[in-house]
Amino acid sequence: MCVSLSLCLVRWSRYNPYYLDPDPSKDARVPESELSPEEKELQELKTVSPIKAALSSDTSSAFNDPLISKFINMMMQDGNKILARGIMTQTLETIKRKQVEKYHKSPAAKREEIECNPYTVFHQALENCKPIIGLASVQKGGKSYQVPVPLTDNRRRFLAMKWLITECRDNKHRRTHMYEKLSQELLAAFANEGNVVKRKHDLHKMAEANRAYAHYRWW
Amino acid sequence: MSGSVVQEKVAKLLSRQNGKPVLRPIKPLALKNEVASRSLKKGEATCVTEMSLVMACWKLNDFNNSVCSKEVSAFYTCVEKAQNKAKGKQGTQG
Repeated sequence: MCVSLSLCLVRWSRYNPYYLDPDPSKDARVPESELSPEEKELQELKTVSPIKAALSSDTSSAFNDPLISKFINMMMQDGNKILARGIMTQTLETIKRKQVEKYHKSPAAKREEIECNPYTVFHQALENCKPIIGLASVQKGGKSYQVPVPLTDNRRRFLAMKWLITECRDNKHRRTHMYEKLSQELLAAFANEGNVVKRKHDLHKMAEANRAYAHYRWW
Repeated sequence: MSGSVVQEKVAKLLSRQNGKPVLRPIKPLALKNEVASRSLKKGEATCVTEMSLVMACWKLNDFNNSVCSKEVSAFYTCVEKAQNKAKGKQGTQG
């Protein structure tokens, strides 16, 4: 007997700036004595101001990782969240399997360096893929120049994820599964090798080559 | 005082009693609560020195980010400060 889910969408797409984000974690409730004055102010604010509706993907479970959720959303095509989530879990499983195999094959001295937790591997690989300086096109005197520009954290995270996904979709063998391609790319990025890290380095090199135009920025 | 005098004059300009009305306003004749913003002064590029330090470090160490971590973190702090400043300024203006 299958039960059909009818979700009633409550979250708006645009909220007034004074609405606060929901915090689904279970240990958000801390006793009064342990709070510093700023945190007490924050608690006061939370009791008074309205809070946005929570997304259906927000959970209070220990396995809820916002970075992984964002990556799943970016991988998702045509709203097929189930497929994207399945690919993600398979990727993490493949990473774990490969790392454990490596662990058992390596001598005792090198065993401590091998990271088996797929979540830390994912986070570290993403950090290694994030560019530090980006390029922006600035028009000056009829000509447009590529100017090196600092990027916001969100933009850097987005670029790293986008590069990973496009790299796996376009530049790999057609017959391998996405989770296989992703696990290979993530493990390579974890070791600071692979095409995505190379792309980041290329961007840095372009920025370094154009450092003379840095003053064309006005922000 | 002079406010009511002005209102009477405006009423006369809008009325049809003395021939055709002189004014035919499309929006209500009332001042807005804010003034139009002056053209922004052209600012300069922020954090150029930090950026040049990072790039010099990269050139020396072949774009190795683990070696240049100090310069990179200094760059990030500078960027954050500049962002907060720009946000604060925007908040007071807007």
